[in-house]
Amino acid sequence: MVLVPRRAAFLKPVLALVLLGGLWELTARLIPAWPGPGHVIGLLGGNLLKPEFQSALLGSVRRMVIGYLLVMAVGIGGGLLLGRVPLVDQVLGSFAVALHAIPGAAWVPLSIVWFGMTERAVIFTILLGAAGILIVDTDTGIREVPPLISRAARTMGATGVKYFWFVVVPAAIPKIVSGLRLAWAFGWRALMAGELLTSVSGLGQQLSAVAKTGQLDQLLALMLLIAVIGVAVDGLIFKRLEHIVRVRWGLA
Amino acid sequence: MHVELRQVHKSFAHNGSAIEVLQDINLTVAEGEFVCLVGPSGCGKSTIINLIAGLEHPTSGEVLVGGRPVTGPDPSRTVVFQDAALFPWLSVLGNVEFGLRIAGLPKDTRRARAMEYLRLVHLSKFVHAYPHQLSGGMKQRVAIARALALQPAIFLLDEPFAALDAQTRAVLQNELLEIWELARPTILFVTHNVREATGLADRVYVISSRPGQIRDIQAIHVARPRHAEDPILLACQHKILGLLGDEIEKVLREELGETVHFPEAQHASPPEQARGMHI
Repeated sequence: MVLVPRRAAFLKPVLALVLLGGLWELTARLIPAWPGPGHVIGLLGGNLLKPEFQSALLGSVRRMVIGYLLVMAVGIGGGLLLGRVPLVDQVLGSFAVALHAIPGAAWVPLSIVWFGMTERAVIFTILLGAAGILIVDTDTGIREVPPLISRAARTMGATGVKYFWFVVVPAAIPKIVSGLRLAWAFGWRALMAGELLTSVSGLGQQLSAVAKTGQLDQLLALMLLIAVIGVAVDGLIFKRLEHIVRVRWGLA
Repeated sequence: MHVELRQVHKSFAHNGSAIEVLQDINLTVAEGEFVCLVGPSGCGKSTIINLIAGLEHPTSGEVLVGGRPVTGPDPSRTVVFQDAALFPWLSVLGNVEFGLRIAGLPKDTRRARAMEYLRLVHLSKFVHAYPHQLSGGMKQRVAIARALALQPAIFLLDEPFAALDAQTRAVLQNELLEIWELARPTILFVTHNVREATGLADRVYVISSRPGQIRDIQAIHVARPRHAEDPILLACQHKILGLLGDEIEKVLREELGETVHFPEAQHASPPEQARGMHI
């Protein structure tokens, strides 16, 4: 009974992928202008060997890493501050929610006005596109310390700063981790939007370049790569991290 | 240190009106004494623990520990809750070290102390396990070690074994007594299990419900280790069950709005029948 769903759980995504690929192949054979999966994957492989493409990819990765580190610092730091200091919450709490409500792409024009068509503008877009959700989730996490945990900690003498760092923050980690996962997804979208519009060398800018010249197959190859990176980072890092945390915190 | 509650009243606000949970509670636990509070669910016995722990404050009356009023929680009064309330992010060792870390003890000292108490509850082999990997009984052992590692003067236990199976409960009851005989902390142990109360305590406070009042105090003059079939214990259980029998009916009547009758709890029932009951 236990083995069957497990095996099925592993097979389902593979099955879905095969089905999707099959459908893609089928439509490609019916519509002459529509490139098939084999061709697109081959093109992608070829691209990855080109130095110019590699530098664009590395540029995107670098901006994403810098942007995400900033998101972590601002998101977790801001969330802790908001949850801990009532005054900060009263003044900036609604600001964080508003930040969270604006899609990453909507920040690009402002970023360009402030930073020009530069890498900084792209990183700023990532920051503003993804920090909001992490601030809100961190804030929620530290407000939702299970009452029994809080009582137990207080009977053992935990108060003030020690109570905050040894109890409130660790208790919030599951929520913070789910915020980190969402922030990655939001940041990745913001990166693409930023690169598309600023034409700083990267995957987004490549996307805009091939679209202008009407290279549908190259366009598809790029979108495939963007999707694969997005799914891979989420599945290999964030989903796992979330699972480990949920198990240990007794939530799964 | 001894514990004393003087004319304690406690009310909670509920939907705009005050609900009285405890009424005129006068209670003492002498230094090194093992006292049990027994009563039906909702009788406010956990509130008494919370008052002594400093987690709640009385509406009126005094809660004194060592002659001084309780103003808030203090590591000299530790609590074991029904749900172990372990920190899931800390290992077994980390949990037991928690209070010592808060107290600012150096790492070596607190590790040695934590290991000592983990040995006491027979968990030396599980120091690196995490709470989610432990059974209910093991979690309570960790909670007991964690609370004792602070070497409290007052050790409060709020239905610590209620969620455990009968065998595990019996084992832990014996171990708790062994630990108590070693360090002789003042113990206040809350339970709804009459047999557990009479098996453990020097004195048993019988609490009635809504509002919680002290119905009776039973001194158990039976030497330890106690035998479950000891006629004095059985007679004592019988008497408490008799007192609580009406109480349980009262609680259920209020909850269900009809008359419920418990033949087991009647005064006339033989002790053999009463013994099997865990109120």
